[in-house]
Amino acid sequence: MRLQSITLTNFRQFEGVQTFDLTSDAIRPVSLLFGANGAGKTTFLNAFTWALHGAMSEDVEQQERMVSDSVWRALPIGQSVEVAVELRFDHEGRDYRLLRQASVHKQSDHQTRPSPELQLWMTAADGSSEVVRAPQETVYSILPRGVSRFFFFNGERIENLVKRGAYAEVQQDIKVLLDLEQVERALAHLPKVDRKLTAELKKHGGDKATEIQEAIDALRERETTDRDQLKLLEGDLAALTEERDAVLDVLRQHNETRPIQERRDAVARDLEDAKAALATAQAERQHLIATRGFLAFTESLGDTTQAMAESLYEKGKLPSPLKREFVDKLLKNGACICGTPLTEHSEPWLHVKDWRQKAGLQAVETAWQQLSGQIGPLATARVDLRESLSSLMTRINAQRDRVDRLIEEQSELDGKLRDSRREDVQALESKRIDLDTQLGIKQQRIGSVRSELDRLGRDIEQKTKERRTAEVTDELAAKARARSDLVQSVKKALEEILAIREEDMRRRLDAELKTVFRSITHQNHVPSLNRGFELTLHKDVDGVQLQVPKSTGENQILSLSFVAAVSKLAREIRKERRAEGEAPPDAGIYPIVMDAAFGSLDQDYQQAVSRALAQMAPQLVVLVSKSQGLGRVVTELMPYVSHLGVIETHTTAAGDVADDIEIEGVAHPYIRPASTDHSELKVIK
Amino acid sequence: MTDDGRTEKQVLEELGDEERALLKRVLEIERAKLHLSAYDATDDLLAAVKEIIP
Repeated sequence: MRLQSITLTNFRQFEGVQTFDLTSDAIRPVSLLFGANGAGKTTFLNAFTWALHGAMSEDVEQQERMVSDSVWRALPIGQSVEVAVELRFDHEGRDYRLLRQASVHKQSDHQTRPSPELQLWMTAADGSSEVVRAPQETVYSILPRGVSRFFFFNGERIENLVKRGAYAEVQQDIKVLLDLEQVERALAHLPKVDRKLTAELKKHGGDKATEIQEAIDALRERETTDRDQLKLLEGDLAALTEERDAVLDVLRQHNETRPIQERRDAVARDLEDAKAALATAQAERQHLIATRGFLAFTESLGDTTQAMAESLYEKGKLPSPLKREFVDKLLKNGACICGTPLTEHSEPWLHVKDWRQKAGLQAVETAWQQLSGQIGPLATARVDLRESLSSLMTRINAQRDRVDRLIEEQSELDGKLRDSRREDVQALESKRIDLDTQLGIKQQRIGSVRSELDRLGRDIEQKTKERRTAEVTDELAAKARARSDLVQSVKKALEEILAIREEDMRRRLDAELKTVFRSITHQNHVPSLNRGFELTLHKDVDGVQLQVPKSTGENQILSLSFVAAVSKLAREIRKERRAEGEAPPDAGIYPIVMDAAFGSLDQDYQQAVSRALAQMAPQLVVLVSKSQGLGRVVTELMPYVSHLGVIETHTTAAGDVADDIEIEGVAHPYIRPASTDHSELKVIK
Repeated sequence: MTDDGRTEKQVLEELGDEERALLKRVLEIERAKLHLSAYDATDDLLAAVKEIIP
């Protein structure tokens, strides 16, 4: 989606018809609009979301007053006036004209909330044009409502994106952007296709195939019930977690409990670390015992083996050190080493030949040499094992002590809150305990439903294999079976593709987030997006990753980094070779429209953010006030600006209110006295 | 890529011709109707299966 222009008609401060061109290219992707406080920057931002989704953000006050005040006042009672926003944009090779428009009838001086109609026209690359019959649904498919918050936002409130609890929604919202939605929908629809096919199999398939199919159907029914239950349980778990966290937040803010709760938070983090360290040490011990544990039982083995071998030598039961090959050579050469000729069947010959029977083979001797060579190092290896085990046990005991100590401290802190003299604190703590208990129960149930689902999955797979080989004489039934097998294979592949895409998406978002965040911040903090799609901030202290609390400024930078990462990934993913085949060249492109882009960031951050912004999205509309946007911001952004404008404030305020804005050495009207309060979109370049 | 290093390309390569054709068709059908939340693709998907195994 690339914006081309926006036209406002009597839309709040913007009276009459006003248009702003937004076309841009890869070299100059930025449109920069200045406006004083109250000029209508937030209104301008909300004009996009109102046009696209029919809604404005919650911070827009008096949302029923859509028609410009001066126009409404001048309108006689009984007459109607138009309020509208027209948006022109292109998306995946097609041009769109979107018009959200309402005719507001005046019955009194007070405006009532209008009921706008949405119309959408589409022009394809070949020039053919048509009215889109499901306009809102089409807009949602281009830019889902939940996703619009990543692309149309207020910089001062952007940190809400990374607040706790927001990420489950975020994960859902970006599925469409990152090509996951159609896979999920296919996975929801394919079982229905399969049911239709297997109904035919049951009808014509004969006793055996029908029996197997009925068993599969029964298993699938249980699978569906379990999946539904799992979804409910996960929803309950999320709600309970949120409720528990809210209670903890109250405890953190309460004057009386703040120090205790803060200590309890620290103890909880340490306890988690200690448990992880204990588990690591235990796993190392397990590995050591599994691979080298046998050495502990070899203490007497070496000595016994040595003694046994020597005794066997003495008894002549083990071959002597004399080699049979050596005796053979003497017999062949016909001379002993003492010089005695060894004539066949002579006494010396018979004597030497007799030795041949006692002599050992070279191979046996070598094996024995090797074995006796290993008896010595066994003792050293045993000492090593003892030392390694002892050091591991020291570690394990130390971590166990640490866990015990932290649990004791945690219990002590819990007790302080539970037995507090203040009833409100007691009530909060009992609620926390109750919620934690409920959370534990839910987690257990989730675990058991998951293992039941695993078992059902294996049973279904087994039965499907049986079905494949069951005798089917009817041609229709055989065809139904082949089709059902095909659907099953595709469903399985799609499940794997979904898992691959989800994990790939998280990893790449995480990597991109780290890169953008690093380019903006001067703090040694590293963000990560974990498997639960939660965004956390860490710092490295002597090799240990410690979680750090996020300040408002950091939350804003994190959110911006996340938006940049989503924007980049949406573009990249569509360019890759995927199961859907080739995507249009501009697929995955979305503009970013941001009001108060630099929020309350300090000067250094403003500069870094401006630099990052220009590379953040393929198209960017930035709305700023003089104080936010002049200086470093203009210097950084100006080389990338294709359209520069001012939302000129016209005010009825008394006194010397006129003000100018100086951009690149030229003064432009910024605030002007007027007979009505309104704003005008002025193009500078 | 998942933890076991599997990629989407590998999954596609391991499929037979019929499976790959159906998978592509299923995603095309679903993607084309993403904007219609009330759309149930079952019949269209069934037709696609019957095209591949007539």
